[in-house]
Amino acid sequence: MSEVVAQQAEEEEVVVDLAIADKVIDKYIDIPGNLMPVLQGVQDEYGYVPRVVAEHVAERLNVYPSQIYGVLTFYAQFHLKPRGRFIIRVCVGTACHVQGATRIVETFFDKLHIGHAETTPDLRYTFEKVACLGACGMAPLAMVNDATYGGMTVQKVDEIVTDYNQRPI
Amino acid sequence: MLNLTIDDKQVTAPKNSTIYDAAKLNGIKIPILCHDKKLKPFGACRMCLVEVEQMKGRQIPACTTPVTEGMIIRTATPDIIKARKMVLELLLLNHPIDCPICDKAGDCDLQNLTYEYKVDANRFTDEKFQHEIDYNNPLIERDMNRCVLCGKCARICDEIVGFGALTFISRGIETKIGCEFDEALNCEFCGSCVSVCPVGSLLARPFKFKARFWSLTKQKSVCGYCGTGCNLTLGVKDNKVLTTLYDENQGFHNGQLCCRGRFGYQFINSDKRLTKPLVRKNGVLVESTWDEALDAVAARLKGAGSSVAALATPRLTNEELLLFKKLMVASGSNNFDHSAGYAHAALTAGFARSFGSTAAPSTILDIQKSSLLLVIKTDAYETHPVVGFEINMAVKNREARLSILSDKRGKLSKLPDAKTLVHVPGTEIAVLNSLARIILDDKLTVDSAAALPGYAELVSSLAPFTPEAVESQSGISAADLRQLATTYATTEKALIIFPIGQAYPGHNAALATAVANLAILTGKLGTEGAGVLCLSEKNNSQGAVDMGFYPVDGGSDASLILDGCSAGSIKTLFVAGENPLISYPDHARVKSALDKVECLIVSDLFLTETAAMADVVLPACSFAEKEGTFTATDRRIQHIKPAIRKVGQSRSDFDIFSALITRLGGEAPATPSALFAEIAASVPGYAGMSYITLGEEGSFAPVEVKPVLTAATAATMPACAAGTFALLTGSALYHNGTLSQYGEGPMHVCPEGYLEISRGDAATMKIGENDLLTVTSDTGNMKLKARITPRMPQGVVFTPYHFSGNPVNRIWSGAAVTGVTLAK
Repeated sequence: MSEVVAQQAEEEEVVVDLAIADKVIDKYIDIPGNLMPVLQGVQDEYGYVPRVVAEHVAERLNVYPSQIYGVLTFYAQFHLKPRGRFIIRVCVGTACHVQGATRIVETFFDKLHIGHAETTPDLRYTFEKVACLGACGMAPLAMVNDATYGGMTVQKVDEIVTDYNQRPI
Repeated sequence: MLNLTIDDKQVTAPKNSTIYDAAKLNGIKIPILCHDKKLKPFGACRMCLVEVEQMKGRQIPACTTPVTEGMIIRTATPDIIKARKMVLELLLLNHPIDCPICDKAGDCDLQNLTYEYKVDANRFTDEKFQHEIDYNNPLIERDMNRCVLCGKCARICDEIVGFGALTFISRGIETKIGCEFDEALNCEFCGSCVSVCPVGSLLARPFKFKARFWSLTKQKSVCGYCGTGCNLTLGVKDNKVLTTLYDENQGFHNGQLCCRGRFGYQFINSDKRLTKPLVRKNGVLVESTWDEALDAVAARLKGAGSSVAALATPRLTNEELLLFKKLMVASGSNNFDHSAGYAHAALTAGFARSFGSTAAPSTILDIQKSSLLLVIKTDAYETHPVVGFEINMAVKNREARLSILSDKRGKLSKLPDAKTLVHVPGTEIAVLNSLARIILDDKLTVDSAAALPGYAELVSSLAPFTPEAVESQSGISAADLRQLATTYATTEKALIIFPIGQAYPGHNAALATAVANLAILTGKLGTEGAGVLCLSEKNNSQGAVDMGFYPVDGGSDASLILDGCSAGSIKTLFVAGENPLISYPDHARVKSALDKVECLIVSDLFLTETAAMADVVLPACSFAEKEGTFTATDRRIQHIKPAIRKVGQSRSDFDIFSALITRLGGEAPATPSALFAEIAASVPGYAGMSYITLGEEGSFAPVEVKPVLTAATAATMPACAAGTFALLTGSALYHNGTLSQYGEGPMHVCPEGYLEISRGDAATMKIGENDLLTVTSDTGNMKLKARITPRMPQGVVFTPYHFSGNPVNRIWSGAAVTGVTLAK
């Protein structure tokens, strides 16, 4: 193992309860083509796919760990790092762009001190720029988890952050 | 066969072939980067675009399109040439033009195609990749900046090797070939990915900056490690073997090799090679002349009778082994043996009795024709990795079923739908006997079985082996035993594979007999894809048996020879290429025998531990420096020619034995070729062979089988005492015998012994990975690093046997299973 790898492995020493992954794996174990549902299932449980879980899935499903990593990096839906409790998505599609999405994005960056696809150290927020969210009539548009906020303004950003700062994580 | 037109030429091609295959078959070259003979079509590189008239002139990839009757194909229209040029332009957009320092230059498909298609400018511009180069291991360099994403490396690692180290990671423009979590490569290091890489992305590091590809002389040869008999191409410059080269048309294995075959060649030109004869004077080995050394040896041998004995390595050629035997006969002795004596007993005692032949009836080629492979011990993969590739391909490409009977799990257990039955160590024979009993009880035998000699005795001997009794002994459930027996008996093409070798004392005559009984009872002999394949350990183990280099006519075997040395009845011991001090069981016993023998003569490439004790040391030469024949484990006889001149003053064992025979007043054959004529005339199955007829392909010596049923007596295994672990010995994937210690490749990957232990036991004993453990048996103790693995069952530990620095024979005295205790 190279030094870099060893260091990464050390950083990775988050205690993960594999029993949760086992439950998901048990549900799909006999179904052919079970890799995707298992990976989606474990991500639902842990919020992301921790490395030890990916390795555990590889061993139990008898799939090469490299192949699992290939799948995890191919699909945008999978995350290899812990994600925030609140996922803020700001649309930067054509309609939102025209309506000033760039300023909305920049304001979030300033408020949260994180950039695109990053997570705050307290794991409260993950911020993502996304292409069209499919509600161009409400541009500029933001979402926090499943809640939608249309007609975004700089002030609304402030309100959203104040609101979510008070919620438990 | 289908009729097609390719480039206005009327040709035929078999159904199911692709346009690419059909063209190749008819001598029409279509350029391609992502294709390899043994891999499935992939269609990644788009270089093989052709036009098919029936497809309205669209450009389609030749490598993934099957041919149909009447197809009209054009492979080189102006439009096609234009398209290929653009493919190359696009590939060269990101590929760095660093050919002057790239080791692949001259052998690079991309370079050659760029030249061929005269791509001297690029209409596009883009940035080059900025990937970090993986220098983390000493054998394979991964420079993903040069990668053209053909996927051959990832595919070969899955489809042939079955390890799956590499894969496509990420997506779109960011796609690259990488390992899990984008880490450094950490795999089996067989180098198959290196061999198929069309560019310089994957390179053999030991060969870096050693020579330009075009300056190498290529010499075809045969690998000098295990008994698989893989073919090699050695790359030679300035009388040095600098690398092994890939040739997809070489051998049954299409040029694929394992770590030791591909990266273990350095022993040939090692600095540690002996270059001059040594003679002990006043207790010290000093350099001497050949005449002095040979005279000293001849004086000890002349008229010595049975006070002289010989131990040889089955790495010698057939000619050398036969000549060594002749030398012993000329000295008046019939005490000669190889491989510790027991490593060939499965053939010389087991098969000799059951089949009337000292060879296994099946060949490695049968693996691809079989529909059920019953592998005894997962080690078949570790001892013979390229046979492991064949098993992997049979299971994945042909959906052959795979059943494994083993005392531990292994890579083979991970193959799709592989059924592994893990038994208590040392109960293989009982398990096989119970399978035979189930086959008899359920009347699954062939009709003729009852008429075979030994039938009644076998039936009565199997009485105690009821599935229930064996279940309690072996830990495999009666239901599993019944299922395996039924599946085996009712599958027409069922092949049993098992390894033998110095670290596998349990794979003896009784095991061979038990295996043979199953095949005989169910009529599996004489059918393609069915039968028994015994994998012998060294490159010429089967040859040593065929040449009769084992005790017959009352001669002493290796064990008795050592006893004789200790007792004083053997006064001169001539050891050719063996290192008994390390590889034979019971270190203390071997040491005392070698100490006591009056005169020890050793011929070897290196000053091994055994050679260091000798009175005369003769520098021998490697397979790359001599001519002769090797007989692979499946009786494939292959001819080797020298690739380099002999190193230093070393001589081939052939020359050494010839000179000694002459000194004893005998007449030595002039050349290996002349002696081979004698072999062809006298050894069964070799008739009609000569160096000329063997050619590059080699030739199989047929095995004539006269089946006899015999009771296989399971040696009663003393149960390991409570609190002890069952120690199994065996081969590490990267090594073969003790020779691979002089190959830099294997030693980089696996430099020392280790002890594999189950996760459960490690947790109970609070043992961590790489913890230094003291392993104690009845005969001694040694320290080994722990390797925690899911493959070991509870209570069972495994260690490989190859290492001189810390020889396992200090705690292992030749038992199939040794009880040991572990302490931190």
